[in-house]
Amino acid sequence: MTSFDAAFTGGWIRRFAASVRATEPELTALDQRAGDGDFGVNLTTGLTTALRMLDEAAADGEPEDASAPLLTTATAFLDSVGGTSGPLFGLLFQRLACAVRDAGPGLTTSGLAAGTREGLAVIQRVGEARAGDKTLVDALAPAARALGACPPDAPPDTALVRAAGGAWEGVRSTARLRARRGRASYLGDRVSGVPDPGAVGIGLFYASADGGVRALAPFLEGREQPSR
Amino acid sequence: MAPYFARAPESLVSDALEGFARAHPDLVEHDAEGGFVRALRGSPDRRVGLLSGGGSGHEPLHIGFVGAGMLDAATPGMIFTSPHNRQVFAASRAVARRDGVLHLVKNYTGDKINFGIAAERLADEGIPVARVLIDDDIASESEDIAVGRRGTGATVLIEKILGAAADAGAGLADLADLGTSLTGRSRSLAVASAAHTAPADGSPAFDIPGGRLEFGVGIHGERADRTVAHEPLDALLETMTDTLLGTLAPGRGDSVIALVNGLGSVTGLELYAVARELGRRLDRRGVELRRSLVGHFVTALDMRGFSLTLLLADDAITDWYDAPAHTPAWRR
Repeated sequence: MTSFDAAFTGGWIRRFAASVRATEPELTALDQRAGDGDFGVNLTTGLTTALRMLDEAAADGEPEDASAPLLTTATAFLDSVGGTSGPLFGLLFQRLACAVRDAGPGLTTSGLAAGTREGLAVIQRVGEARAGDKTLVDALAPAARALGACPPDAPPDTALVRAAGGAWEGVRSTARLRARRGRASYLGDRVSGVPDPGAVGIGLFYASADGGVRALAPFLEGREQPSR
Repeated sequence: MAPYFARAPESLVSDALEGFARAHPDLVEHDAEGGFVRALRGSPDRRVGLLSGGGSGHEPLHIGFVGAGMLDAATPGMIFTSPHNRQVFAASRAVARRDGVLHLVKNYTGDKINFGIAAERLADEGIPVARVLIDDDIASESEDIAVGRRGTGATVLIEKILGAAADAGAGLADLADLGTSLTGRSRSLAVASAAHTAPADGSPAFDIPGGRLEFGVGIHGERADRTVAHEPLDALLETMTDTLLGTLAPGRGDSVIALVNGLGSVTGLELYAVARELGRRLDRRGVELRRSLVGHFVTALDMRGFSLTLLLADDAITDWYDAPAHTPAWRR
């Protein structure tokens, strides 16, 4: 079974941070249309804290376990990020870290699939959002499905490309939805055509595993119109 | 325009928390780093720690009810803003007993999510945790409102009764069941003739024309779904009592505990006059008024209005309500 080490998961988080930093203005603009405008800043805050903690940990030597960078990121998001979406991302990272650790010490496709599935479950348990409510669940659920459909012994990077594809389809779907949760639910039809920023964040996370944000860029720049 | 007495709007909550701890050094301590207020002399024999919290601006809720016989800790957020999950997590770890910790949560999305995230983290650490979701406000009961009834005045009664039950040695599951049952037995309704003052600029948060009342107002500056004529008190109480009793449906001879709660700036004279009207109407309907609590308990900054809460009480509930408690805002 192919597995990757902590250098891969650490790199994944660092690429995610770079993706978010590169797209923060677009994320903020989306959240100003469909929320209260703090999502881009919250995501950046969490990742900046996570990178600082990863650097501190690296000074003591690279971790053995591929779950360690994910757990560090979880702690950063749960403890330092305000709002509601930020801490919900923290729960996803925490479930991923636990599942990867249990399947570990290396990162495997089965660990990723279990962690994403459990992350989706805990986010739905806490936030009570269902598929179709126009939240990050609409990107995370198809990512979990895509990972679950991968052969457990598939290489994790291949599986993550499939997860990113699933999340990306989910992001597209949120543009067509009417919000039923969160601030956007008070705005009714005024946010139709606008993808959910939390879903975009999930898409960025999975897309960052193998190098980045390219697949999402046209959408974030507004060049692609949602299909109706 | 009448701005708040504060160094600055942003520092009002943190300054007040520091002052609160200084004012009650024998009863509470403020853990500024953890973001919670904790009982110094809590009840030693409890098996379960009791924790509540929510946005500031509802004083004395929740910090005023931290102490012996009521809450072990409370997590205040910023004004009308839920506490961070980190505060709830830290406070829960600090006060959990051998049977764990019970969260008393008013039904608002932010509070539910942040207490929920903290609960997941606690479960991860092997600390048992359960939740009582308080949703007593009948004005927010509607098929159009998916999030359900808001949590308001019943919170203080439930904190008192659960505190006594916890002191009597109840375990986590029993306390959670009792709290859920108490919530089902409680309903509240609020009216306001003037909005609270916005802390940022000292202006009214919304306008209510003269001679009108917001009927079914909340505690966060959200307007009610209807504005009605400001009738004389006896007519207003007739409507409010009918509405509450219609929802709770007590039989003749049933007993209630009543809370007549000021939302911030009505006078004690008015609140006792309200209590008179309420008591007369309960008498007339054959509902026994076991206990009355009259004053400012769950406020909305300085909103000019009041809420009524009725809780159907049996003997056991009344005994727990009567049990001694000693907190900054409850000494009897």
